[in-house]
Amino acid sequence: MRTRSLTKLAALGFAGTLALSACGSSGSSGGGLNNDGGSGGGGDATYTIAFEGPLSGDYQQLGINEVNGVQLAIDQANAKGDLGFKLKLMKADDGGDPAKAPAAAAQVLQDKTVVGVIGPSFSGATKAVGNIYGDAGMTVITPSASNPSLSTLGFKTFHRIVPNDNVEGSQAAVWLAKKAKKVYVINDLSDYGDGVANAVQEGLKKAGVKIIKQGVAGGGATKDYGTAAAAVKNSGAAAMFYAGYDADAAQLATALKAAGYKGIRIGGNGIKSSVFTDSSKKAGDGWYMSCGCLDATVAPAAKQFTADYKAAFNTDPSTYSPEAFDAANALIEAIKAAKAGGGVTLASVNEAVNALNYTGITATIKFQEDGEIVPENQVVNLFQQKGGAITLLGNILEQK
Amino acid sequence: MNDFLNYLLLGLTRGSMYAVIALGYTLVYGVLQLINFAHSEVFMSGAFASYLAVTRFVKEGDRPAWYIVVALILMGLLVGAAVGAAVAWTLERVAYRPLRRRGAPKLAFLISAIGASFFLSQLAGKMFNRLTSNTFPEYFNRDKAVISVGGVNLTLIQAIVIGSAVVMMIFLDRLVSGTKLGRAIRGVAEDAPTAALMGIDIDKTISRTFMIGGALGGAAGFLFGTQLVFGNTMGFIPGVKAFAAAVLGGIGNIRGAMLGGLLLGVVESLVPTFPWWHESGWVGQQWTDVVAFVILVMVLLFRPSGILGERLGRAA
Repeated sequence: MRTRSLTKLAALGFAGTLALSACGSSGSSGGGLNNDGGSGGGGDATYTIAFEGPLSGDYQQLGINEVNGVQLAIDQANAKGDLGFKLKLMKADDGGDPAKAPAAAAQVLQDKTVVGVIGPSFSGATKAVGNIYGDAGMTVITPSASNPSLSTLGFKTFHRIVPNDNVEGSQAAVWLAKKAKKVYVINDLSDYGDGVANAVQEGLKKAGVKIIKQGVAGGGATKDYGTAAAAVKNSGAAAMFYAGYDADAAQLATALKAAGYKGIRIGGNGIKSSVFTDSSKKAGDGWYMSCGCLDATVAPAAKQFTADYKAAFNTDPSTYSPEAFDAANALIEAIKAAKAGGGVTLASVNEAVNALNYTGITATIKFQEDGEIVPENQVVNLFQQKGGAITLLGNILEQK
Repeated sequence: MNDFLNYLLLGLTRGSMYAVIALGYTLVYGVLQLINFAHSEVFMSGAFASYLAVTRFVKEGDRPAWYIVVALILMGLLVGAAVGAAVAWTLERVAYRPLRRRGAPKLAFLISAIGASFFLSQLAGKMFNRLTSNTFPEYFNRDKAVISVGGVNLTLIQAIVIGSAVVMMIFLDRLVSGTKLGRAIRGVAEDAPTAALMGIDIDKTISRTFMIGGALGGAAGFLFGTQLVFGNTMGFIPGVKAFAAAVLGGIGNIRGAMLGGLLLGVVESLVPTFPWWHESGWVGQQWTDVVAFVILVMVLLFRPSGILGERLGRAA
């Protein structure tokens, strides 16, 4: 009797938890496929460009920024009408989660009209599916996955159009070395934070700057940044670099303000987001951000893009929208080249991507052997939060 | 020395928060010998409720007069406490009482507690948002130094947190040692069947114990949210720490929970940066949690029942 009631209760408990997690995700799910399969029967062939990224969950906003950029590129290309083929978009939702990425990749690969993928948005997800796409010969251009190791893992069809964290970190170090003789580097102990922190530290060491290292667990694990902030203040360092993500950085910003730290505060692309500005409020003003990305709302090269984006989606383009737009346009260029060169197959498209030399709004896209943009075309920009808004200061190497 | 004192203040602030939350664990453990793992969500609900209340009257950028600020803080504490108490009461009714009635084994309570914890945290995520870093509007200058002696600063928010925690702890101590309800709680903790024979309504006492613990937790939620950030998953880490603090002081022992909480907060803030106060020190801040739990293990090795011991019946 005793055991039976226990089993019953345990079952109840489990059922409750399951029901709960189901309702937790039901509200935001529904990314999935929206292609109706099959290529155009009549005149022109139809090719599909797939987007893989987070279209639900915590990181949904980033995925929406990107998929809108891709959608815009496709719509514009179709509207021009000189392609000789039709383009379609397929959305594959991976939630930014490495565990969900293989299923998203499988969805993409099932559709035989897909000739290339924009994405995945996140480094972890990219790691999880790099080989799946590689083995299928499906070309991949990521507009935002910035972990340096991605181009060294032997993914056969991997391309990225943003500078990786090593490039970003070392250029941030060059800038910091101009401003400070002693820099405090806080690492959130994540894969991303570790990578950026190492790149920054290496760059600073080369420039002869004194470094103080500190690890403070991020991802919500640290709730009270008071002691960390007091340590930064006490160190007397003229600058502080935070290698981690937006939500944690916002808490650090608040704590640094409380501690009265007046030095330079800077973080990498992980903190350049509305989460940081919304949550740090005034404490975030004055913070710098380095990012291998463009602020489409102010950059002159992106004026037309910004206007078109706003007209299409009724909102300003945000972080990584221009990069996704560029990646999609580059892929479209490659499809055109493949068609001109004989026929559009996965292999010919991938080859065409490798051979690209396409000037987009964020950078001139020309890939090296390993899928990175050639170094001379990698641009890292410096941003600063002013009055609660992130503003572009320009190429970080040109900043005083 | 100044640095030491500044870190000590940071530690005391953190510790008084732990202590107030720890009281919720220890009270419930005292009467039920049950770890209420959903207590961290009671704490979380206090933060959300007081946020909703406070933002009815102020928004970001407002700087009301000092007496309004005082009134708002008191209101925040009271709303947090009231909602915390209500959530804890409901929790006891829904998740524990049915099990107790049927004499379910201890394991079932644990599962039920974890289920309730998930439920509450996801419910808050569904109702509000799933960000980890929501903040209260800054309606007063939290960082103003109220006492500043030779480089040692006690900021306003630290004073508020420590002050409110001390008041709550004294209040609880008096309540448990000096009132009829307190006597009932101690009676149930010591020997429930005998207490029942003496005319104590056990169900009512347990229910009220949950509400007292919940009120403290909810008020702590307000303090935590005002000082730091809040979100639907905010409860987990402070909850685990506070539970550790309760064990450290001697679970079931009210003064033990207070001592354990303060001690844990101070250790967490002092040890990692000792002795240089800014560089990695001998330990380094990434080891904060390790330090805290190593100390917990050491204490339990030498005093298995915690620093002050498990004085279940004599809760004060």
